[in-house]
Amino acid sequence: MMMIDNNLQTLSEFQYWFPVLRRFGPDDPFFASGNIERELLAKQVALDLTEEEKQQLRNLDDADSEVSCPIVGCGANLRSLVEFEDHYNARHTASCSVCSRVYPTSRLLGIHVSEAHDSFFQAKVARGYAMYECLVEGCGMKLKSYKSRHQHLMDKHNFPSSFDFFKKAQPSKKERSKKNQRKQHHATFTTENEEGSGASAMQVEEETLNGLVSAVSKLTTSDSTPSAVSFGRRHTRGLTFVPRAVQRETKK
Amino acid sequence: MADETTATPRRDPIKNPVGNAAAQRRRQNAVSVGKERREALFRTKRLCRVGVSSEMDVPVDSDMMIEEEQSILEAQTSSAVEELKTAIAFQGKGAVQKKVNALRELRRLLSRSEFPPIETAIASGAIPLLAQCLSFGSQDEQLLEAAWCLTNIAAGKPEETRALLPALPLLIAHIGEKSSMMVAEQCAWALGNVAGEGEDLRHILISQGALLPLAKMMFPNKGSTVRTAGWALSNLIKGPDPKAATELIKIDGVVEAILRHLRKSDEEIATEIAWVVVYLSALSSVATSVLVKTDLLQLLVERLTTSNSLQLLIPVLRSLGNLIAGDTYTTNTVLVPGHEITDNIILALIKCLKSEHRVLKKEAAWVLSNIAAGSVGHKQLIYKSEAMPLLIQLLMTAPFDIKKEVAYVVGNLCVAPAEGSGRSSLIFDHLVSFVRSGCLRGFVDLVRSADIEAARLGLQFMELVLRGLPNGEGPKLVEKEDGIDAMERFQFHENEDLRNMANQLVDKYFGADYGLDE
Repeated sequence: MMMIDNNLQTLSEFQYWFPVLRRFGPDDPFFASGNIERELLAKQVALDLTEEEKQQLRNLDDADSEVSCPIVGCGANLRSLVEFEDHYNARHTASCSVCSRVYPTSRLLGIHVSEAHDSFFQAKVARGYAMYECLVEGCGMKLKSYKSRHQHLMDKHNFPSSFDFFKKAQPSKKERSKKNQRKQHHATFTTENEEGSGASAMQVEEETLNGLVSAVSKLTTSDSTPSAVSFGRRHTRGLTFVPRAVQRETKK
Repeated sequence: MADETTATPRRDPIKNPVGNAAAQRRRQNAVSVGKERREALFRTKRLCRVGVSSEMDVPVDSDMMIEEEQSILEAQTSSAVEELKTAIAFQGKGAVQKKVNALRELRRLLSRSEFPPIETAIASGAIPLLAQCLSFGSQDEQLLEAAWCLTNIAAGKPEETRALLPALPLLIAHIGEKSSMMVAEQCAWALGNVAGEGEDLRHILISQGALLPLAKMMFPNKGSTVRTAGWALSNLIKGPDPKAATELIKIDGVVEAILRHLRKSDEEIATEIAWVVVYLSALSSVATSVLVKTDLLQLLVERLTTSNSLQLLIPVLRSLGNLIAGDTYTTNTVLVPGHEITDNIILALIKCLKSEHRVLKKEAAWVLSNIAAGSVGHKQLIYKSEAMPLLIQLLMTAPFDIKKEVAYVVGNLCVAPAEGSGRSSLIFDHLVSFVRSGCLRGFVDLVRSADIEAARLGLQFMELVLRGLPNGEGPKLVEKEDGIDAMERFQFHENEDLRNMANQLVDKYFGADYGLDE
């Protein structure tokens, strides 16, 4: 312990008061009581919300279905204009004009169209270009095959191995019995189409040649031709007739 | 002993074991309360919907689940999952409606009771089935019900939340801009629950690309979707890894959306957005430096001034605190003495100091202490404001944690900004004023406390008094307030710093020749 000479004030080891900015991390115990308040008070907010919601739901139940979706093959009944806009946005602006599959973003739709219906895409793939985009927006990675893209998703983005971006539609009964002989192990996810609209399934990984020809035949300017071209594969229904105006919107 | 002459003493979190245990307990409590609240939030919200939308449902809100009832519930759940499995495999006419009905049944079972049969649901294999129901192109109602089930499952125990892993990329996909708002909101809710569970899950969600679509959900002007997305986003970026926060601020449109909501939106939305700002400012210096150059501070001060909602005030106050503590730009360039915003923030902080809520008082004092750590101009501004009588009173009478923060304010107001090495110079007017008001007693109390940090503060302030009061008045005052006694407690204290500090003061000011001049 040092004896401090009254005269030698500069050599003191005393920790003098020193104004500094004090900063805390978000998990610091300093903030704990504030965090608790957030949690506890939120309970009350929930109770308030329920009253509001009750009212909203009662209103909804009272009103008759006001708007019927005009898109052929849809027929959904919506309760208000706002709901209809919402419905249209969800159902009819990100749907594939070829196979009617619906995607939650324009980007995913674009990826689907390229991979499933674009012959030029397939041609490039055949020549060894990396064409399969990573599904995570902002990643930018491109892979050479569907499988390697799947691997990338698992490796870099922690996707479960069960995730399957493109799944063939449900085959017809005949196709199903055919398949039973050479049974593939499908992943758990199926990409389904809505009831009421037919789907022409594009087999991307098998029978590429057939696919290419089918694809080309589908690239038609005639809106009213339901494409039922197939080689050795029977479709249960042709393409749904979609009004010209809507189709133009989806073709970007 | 390490050379600690004038190196910035770090204000570490409480090192005292007593303080730590209490803090830890509080944290654990916060987590479990959070989960409880989350569950309550779901139960309350979902219960109500069930009750209103169908006459067949009887909302069960019993406080006690009899064991028998619980096992019935579990049996019902297992069969509901089986039903769902059958419905998914079915390919004939009416397949979609079958699925929706099965999902709805499961959802009801998961929404009803005090203890939703989550474990049973998972054990029966619900999750892969629910994930299948989320496939692209599914009907909105199907997506909604499936997401709802997953939401409630995610509100359970940690391992139950983790069970959602197979479904995560699909939940993320369905918050895309083309999804129906209700579906997007429900998926965001589920994701928010998952993100809130833990750091590892946040990391997974971010690597799967959840950040961008969730951020975009904040862009509309209003709606419950914005509020849910804000909440989920705050859970997603809360760290401790600052990467997500830094990524978020760089997304086009995010800063503008944050400002817009804080400027115009209702308090519920503003609350969630404010929490996003809390994490942005606490974790990312990039975010902080971007935000302080917008008019965010202005908007936060306005909210702090005008709102009376504790829910909103807490994150707003904390955001201000983080922005001030995180970047000297704030105090040096924005909160310049003389600017209107500076006057306003002090008024708003005074309002918080006067509040009856502990959290507001404590965190407002913290913010004020950081402003008081600024220039002499800042100190004078505070000194001349109505904060003074409040500070003095709080120092004497407030609960310990508030008292400690106020101590920081008072001490910072008495000491000029640091210049190189050596002791900082005193601001005599302020020091004398505080001492005359009786503050010394409060500091001596801190010296007596069990908290190391508080004791250090007390000793440091005593040093100012001993050094700074004219005519040798300091030692007399300290003695009068039993300061010598308090310091002597540290003579053989285990903490070396405190021991040294106390002994140095005693030796210097109460040495052999003390009192001999009388």
